[in-house]
Amino acid sequence: MLFYLLKRVGLAVVIVVVAVVLLYSMIHVVPGDPASVILGPRATPEMKQELHELMGLDRPFVVQVVSFLGKVARGDLGMDFFSQRPVAQIVFKQLDETLVLVLASIGWAMLLGIPLGCYSAVFRNTFSDKLVGFFSIGVIAVPSFVVALYSLLLFAVTLKWLPAIGAGESGQYMDQLRHLILPAFAIGLGWVGYIARLVRASMLEVLNENHIRRARAFGLPEHMIVFQYALKLAILPTITLLGTGIGRLISSAVFAEIVFARPGIGKLIFDSVVSRNYPLVMGAVLVSTVLFVLSTTVSDSVNAMLDPRVRERL
Amino acid sequence: MSKPNMQFSKIRLSRRSFLKASAASAGWLMLPGMGMYPSWAQDSRVLRVRDYGDPQSLDPGIASNLYEENVNAAVHNKLIAYKPGSKWAWQLEAAQSIEQVDPTHIKFVLKPGITFTNGFGEMTAEDVKFSYERIIDPELKSPIKGDWATLESVDVTDKYSGVIVLNKPFQALWMTTLPYMGGNIVSKKATLAAGGKFSAMPPCFSGPYVIKELEPKQRTVLARNPEWKGDPPGFDEIHIFPIDDEKTAEMGFEAGDLDYTRISMSSYKNMKKNPPENSVVEKYPSLYYVWLGMNMEHPKLSDERVRQAVQYAVDIPSILEAAYDGVADPATGFVPPGLVGHRPDTLVPFKADFAKAKQLLAEAGYPDGIDLDLEVRNKAVYIAAGQVIQAVAAQAGIRMTLNLHDSGSFWSLGDESKGDRWKKLQLVLNRFSSAPDPHYAAQWFTKEQVGVWNWERFKNPEYNQLYEKAMAEGDKDKRDQMYRRMQELMEASGAYRFITHEAVPVIYTDRIVPALRPDGMPLLRYFTTA
Repeated sequence: MLFYLLKRVGLAVVIVVVAVVLLYSMIHVVPGDPASVILGPRATPEMKQELHELMGLDRPFVVQVVSFLGKVARGDLGMDFFSQRPVAQIVFKQLDETLVLVLASIGWAMLLGIPLGCYSAVFRNTFSDKLVGFFSIGVIAVPSFVVALYSLLLFAVTLKWLPAIGAGESGQYMDQLRHLILPAFAIGLGWVGYIARLVRASMLEVLNENHIRRARAFGLPEHMIVFQYALKLAILPTITLLGTGIGRLISSAVFAEIVFARPGIGKLIFDSVVSRNYPLVMGAVLVSTVLFVLSTTVSDSVNAMLDPRVRERL
Repeated sequence: MSKPNMQFSKIRLSRRSFLKASAASAGWLMLPGMGMYPSWAQDSRVLRVRDYGDPQSLDPGIASNLYEENVNAAVHNKLIAYKPGSKWAWQLEAAQSIEQVDPTHIKFVLKPGITFTNGFGEMTAEDVKFSYERIIDPELKSPIKGDWATLESVDVTDKYSGVIVLNKPFQALWMTTLPYMGGNIVSKKATLAAGGKFSAMPPCFSGPYVIKELEPKQRTVLARNPEWKGDPPGFDEIHIFPIDDEKTAEMGFEAGDLDYTRISMSSYKNMKKNPPENSVVEKYPSLYYVWLGMNMEHPKLSDERVRQAVQYAVDIPSILEAAYDGVADPATGFVPPGLVGHRPDTLVPFKADFAKAKQLLAEAGYPDGIDLDLEVRNKAVYIAAGQVIQAVAAQAGIRMTLNLHDSGSFWSLGDESKGDRWKKLQLVLNRFSSAPDPHYAAQWFTKEQVGVWNWERFKNPEYNQLYEKAMAEGDKDKRDQMYRRMQELMEASGAYRFITHEAVPVIYTDRIVPALRPDGMPLLRYFTTA
């Protein structure tokens, strides 16, 4: 297991470095001048040149990449030239908000999706199973921004039960929870369907295996068979899905962050790309890439821990 | 004791339990303690407004956008400030009196007793001198250096008095510099103690509000300045939310989370007709100007007749209807109505004249029409405008290909320092912001700006002469004629088809009395409760 973990972490580091170099190259290929965007129409050519020098954009591309990676290795993500604040400070502040949103979304989706999947598998081909199936496919098909808009219209604009914008007052947890409900609902709803479908399919497979039949033959209670024996194996594909799903969740979070005017890393990346704020783009992309790689590494490790066959496959 | 063999049929009970639990949870969430009560139940002394983004730099010397000025204007003082209302005018703020003694000297006297917070003492003429002279100091690299380009020095007469000395007359100073970004006064002592400049939290404040909280991407909170001795501000706190998307802001307003916001032009008519409860919807003329520009040095457009054909093939009413929902009025130049230099009419009628356009094309050697590229920013309103231009111009034989760009790439299209891309530029749908003096907009079309912001590469000696003269001219009528002539020269070159100044629709709750500039921009320090 230790050897597996070492190999997996080594691979993760390589993936992060390659991804960052590729992204650094790509954003520099996109046309557009950060100095023109930052300084606006008041900028003289001299001022633009000065800003280029300050941002290090006058140096050869390879030097810029190596310098960036060297700083990252020392834990320095650079400075944001718009606000003159450290990039790490800005990114980690936004990351907190996104993580809370993503975890809340996936949390409620799991709490509802896993029992629904189990229920469907146990009561296969009944009316309830079909109803759950219809619901699951329905919520998967609806894009999260549509859910966001309609839930906003219903719960915030019409009923005025919940706030429409922002993330709530710092330190006031109830206020922050109120601001979290609608965005988490919008992002998590589709995942309820995904998880329910996946758990149902895995459970059906596992419930037909010999050891489950043997457990039934021994007269073990059904809830113990389902939750202690079958679900433990059936949950593996879901863990993998959640690991790789972090990337998708961050993308979905961009819509929620825009629609609900919430702070977050997705919107930070979007705004920074539009304004060609390269230091912030790189810092935010690096952190979200690390987050993505970390989540897949963790999910793979959990899989390997639960299923020894996985360890031998890397 | 053996447990009963719990069949899954018993889980049906759990399903009911689940439903009961869900209902109970929902009920719990509805409890007032959970805060899930109507969000209009807010403290009436807190003003919640929306802005387009976060203030990035709160040092007035290095600030350059409106979000920063909206905050700076509430927490600092200027000698004079814009007067809220429907006509462009200024009023005294930190100055007790101010007068132009001759074309290059402005004498001012400060109101005594204006203090900087955090123990930085009373505002003096030394602070005024420091604040304005640092902007032209090359060390500061101020993006608003151009606003004070004519400043020679500020001479301090005594503790409260001084004279602003210009190196040449500059009439726009009264409307674009002193009451705007370049006019904010900072504490010399505090700024020097901070190292000569600051970016995030200012070391002290002198306005009716102070910055209490800066949460990037979330909100900026202004609170009453306890040391403020002027008229008490209207609110205990002002919460400014950075929301770029108009529709999100509209929903935020309708949900009761905002008291004032700008709304989209597409929502204006509907909201005006059916305004949300307890709200007021208004529309203001904007200072922005939108135009179709043509690169005069591109081989396809070097013939004036081709450019004029394009002018005649663009139908302004259709653009205004389709892209601006009939809310905006047509523009006659870069100066909007209500300002010196506004033209009552254009040389080319607003309505397209396809016969004339075809005739001009034929005369220029394109009897079968011409293919041109139109560069457009990828925002819904400009895309719609571009599509209308494309569809209508096709009727005159001008076949346009629309190229969409995000802001980052768009703003470098005509920039010579970015390589040879400008040489391929043909048509561009452009939009610039402006200030309440024609000088501000006029400066981008001089020959010195060719390849910088003058992407049409319009070079007209008469324009440049008038630009210099109008800058110094004190006679309002003469200035008016000069700016009108300058815009006429631009249009006559064929390189410009002015489209609109857009409009600024806003919505606010009837529990507040907003203080707005004539272009609908908020002057937060003057907002009060109804």
